Amino acid sequence: MLNVARWIPGGAADETAMLRELGLADAEELFSDVPKKVRLGRMGVGAPKEELEVLRYVDKILDRNKPYSKFSNFLGGRVTTPFSPAALDAILSRSEFYTSYTPYQPEASQGMLQTLFEFQSLWVELTGADAANASLYDGATAAGEALLLCRRVHEGSRFLLPASLPWEEKSVLRNYAAGLPVRFEEIPYDPRTGRLDTEWVKTEVARGDVFGLLADLPNGFGVLDEGLPDLKAILGSVPLVIAADPLALSVVEPPAAWGADVVVGEGQGFGMAPSFGGPLLGLFACQKEHLRLAPGRIVGATADATGRRAFTLTLQTREQHIRRSRATSNICTNESLLALGFVVYATLVGPRGLAELQTRLTEKARTLASALGGLEGLQAPRFEAPYLSSFAVGVTRGGVGEFLDRLRAKKVLGGVPLSDPRPGAPASEPLLLASVSESLEERDLQRYVSAARGALAAVRGSP
Amino acid sequence: MTFRQARYDEPLVWELSPPSEGAPGPSVPGLPEKLRRKKALRWPELSELEVVRHYTRLSQMNFGIDTSAYPLGSCTMKYNPKVSEAVARRRTAAELHPEQPVETVQGALEILWRLETALGKITGFPEVSLQPAAGAHGEFAALLMVRAYFRDRGELGRRTEVLLPDTAHGTNPASAAMAGFTTREIPSKDGCVDLEALRAAVSDRTAAFMLTNPNTAGLFESQIVEIAETVHGAGGLLYYDGANLNAILGVTNPGRMGFDVAHLNLHKTFATPHGGGGPGAGVLGAGELLAPYLPVPRVVKKGRRFALDYDRPKSIGKIKSGYGNFGLDLRAYVFLLSHGEEGLRAVSRRSVLNANYLGQRLGRHLPRPFRPLVKHEFLLSGAPLKARGVRTLDLAKRLLDEGYHAPTVYFPALVEEALMIEFPETESRRELDGFADAFERAVTDTPENLHAAPRNLSVGRVDEVRAARDLHLSWKDLRERPPKP
Repeated sequence: MLNVARWIPGGAADETAMLRELGLADAEELFSDVPKKVRLGRMGVGAPKEELEVLRYVDKILDRNKPYSKFSNFLGGRVTTPFSPAALDAILSRSEFYTSYTPYQPEASQGMLQTLFEFQSLWVELTGADAANASLYDGATAAGEALLLCRRVHEGSRFLLPASLPWEEKSVLRNYAAGLPVRFEEIPYDPRTGRLDTEWVKTEVARGDVFGLLADLPNGFGVLDEGLPDLKAILGSVPLVIAADPLALSVVEPPAAWGADVVVGEGQGFGMAPSFGGPLLGLFACQKEHLRLAPGRIVGATADATGRRAFTLTLQTREQHIRRSRATSNICTNESLLALGFVVYATLVGPRGLAELQTRLTEKARTLASALGGLEGLQAPRFEAPYLSSFAVGVTRGGVGEFLDRLRAKKVLGGVPLSDPRPGAPASEPLLLASVSESLEERDLQRYVSAARGALAAVRGSP
Repeated sequence: MTFRQARYDEPLVWELSPPSEGAPGPSVPGLPEKLRRKKALRWPELSELEVVRHYTRLSQMNFGIDTSAYPLGSCTMKYNPKVSEAVARRRTAAELHPEQPVETVQGALEILWRLETALGKITGFPEVSLQPAAGAHGEFAALLMVRAYFRDRGELGRRTEVLLPDTAHGTNPASAAMAGFTTREIPSKDGCVDLEALRAAVSDRTAAFMLTNPNTAGLFESQIVEIAETVHGAGGLLYYDGANLNAILGVTNPGRMGFDVAHLNLHKTFATPHGGGGPGAGVLGAGELLAPYLPVPRVVKKGRRFALDYDRPKSIGKIKSGYGNFGLDLRAYVFLLSHGEEGLRAVSRRSVLNANYLGQRLGRHLPRPFRPLVKHEFLLSGAPLKARGVRTLDLAKRLLDEGYHAPTVYFPALVEEALMIEFPETESRRELDGFADAFERAVTDTPENLHAAPRNLSVGRVDEVRAARDLHLSWKDLRERPPKP
């Protein structure tokens, strides 16, 4: 008997009985409609394994990883390395949630629907926007969907985005726009402050044909750009998309209050492990006037036949399963479980706790930046502008790659290089983004500083 | 079976401890006044127990595979093995940042490489990418690859049309439109592609034909070789929607059937949990023509080391952050390793057997619109119920009262009052018989009872029309415009 019988119940006895009911002698007859010409021999994927064997086999591979928790870790950016309260995983492990399907049958799915309604409400409170959807794949694709929404609500062929936006997000945006005639124009940054050049934006908007602008908060350099609240006045009817960090929004004025039409973000950092970059959580909210052209599932409150409060998916006529080629997006499966995680984390930590966390991280980042800034060969922070949990470091002696390699030898993951790794990509400033997380202690900061000092000395010493 | 779902009067989370409004925002060092939050975030302060109890109660008002079978056609709601959950929570898997140096993530890259290699063998494609976050995301990426391919050949200006059968999943036309193509539906004949209609439709405008095989009527497209010849003969590409792969593991594969590119859903065939709607994990498989266009980076093996290769000049670039939903990829890999060759074949054999067995039993109650031999799912038409004033929707709600999730309903559109039923291989014969009995009780129940269903869940029939007419999408909406009683 097959040893995966634990996942295919009943064994040969049931199979034989069921075949008999069907008047078939052999299961092979079930595939008589598959032409001989396309039938396969063996696939060559190996023999079955018992649970213990699988665990040994997979753990042996996974043990070749060195988790960031084994280092003094300063990796961050859109994807962060948060501390996760145990209660969060306890909720995420409720199998009524994680083994459930999309709540198309609302009566059977009130738990998930109410949770998603709470999640939408939280993103609305954080962003100040009128309505949020029930999640998209990640922050980058949420920005892509936002671009498509802009194009639906405004004429034009030019989309403005920061030159400082991480290359990965630029690439995703280009792909989301591939089906449209769109020209991307990169907004230069002030080399001193890292902020958007708003004069440039004014000129370009005045030239016309702009259908949207995306700016991020903090930006790809970690910079909090004080100029962002002035953008809407420059843009007029052109939609403004703000890609915002949710933790930053616990202390920053909600973007919709200063003119954002769409607010997107990456939500993984609310207590969820990065898992090598996926799954992540795309956050999306917009103003009322754009709602019917917005992507993704949306949960609404209503009542049941007896008047009892109930929740259901709504505005489904925007979606692919109803509207097909005229849908506002092709998205079906989203990131509901992470949306649950997002709202549970925020509620466990509480609004005051979130703001305090952001404050502590900012203090920690400032301590590190000022210590690194004292080292010759580094500019930290590279830009003269406020920042929160992350800041850009200019590496003026040796390369970014070499610097990070030398740090790693001292058990320090020193940050994320900010260059496009694709061959032939345009050269960019030698920058890395250093980020702090809750789990870093004073000695981790010290280790970074002393490893950096050593790395820079080694560069000077090398021929 | 007597089924009763939990029914709490569970408040919304802010109703547990209504937060005060208007407290000043915190002061963060260096934060410019212009950007500072004027009013603190409005959200409740609760104890850990209050939070845990709230969401635990909500979980009890939710169907999941662990408590109820899901006969959802095309969704492949199979058991999600617990061992996969355990592995995905290892620190050596979860505590990896995507920007870690490759030297520190050799194990993760090896998992991705091994899974891609195995999926290549299963699908018959030389190259596989795990970057898409979900099936539809994979469709979109594949169509961007199709665009890039025709652009390189100087044919993009002309090849603007994607063809698909009228049984296609809704994501297919939506993905094609997002990728900038126009779409055209090919009518079906007896539930399968009408080859003559396809021959008449292909032209030098055809970029691709998107096909699910077995299709959403549960039928294997036996003319697949002729379909491939027709599309290729017109210079078009053949796209495989892998949503229904569960039926054909080890029997055939998209590469062998002549497809040029495919997406798979690891959250269907490879048993990763649906998470209440996501996350999923998508897979892209590509033949020789389209492989150079796969997203970067590609995971490559150099000697005994693994690396991320960005040197793919024809690549479409990135379609999401990171390298895909690694946490889900790992779960799928555990599933694949456990089953091995023999197990994967058994998966398809049993899922097809389940569909045929149950199809025969339920066919006694409602008509089956097409030929009886199906693959992993089958269709019924609820049209005869209309004479009694009963709709498929009523039947679906009545089945919920029996403790079963409803089948997929009203899809595909070519069948009136459609019910689409799929019981994956992890469901026992006893469960199938239990469902058949429940179905019989439901279908023979009085119209009054059917209209009144469900009665045993946390709420009664939900008013979806009211939800759309009087929109309340957040706490803010409830505050500003309290719903009328």
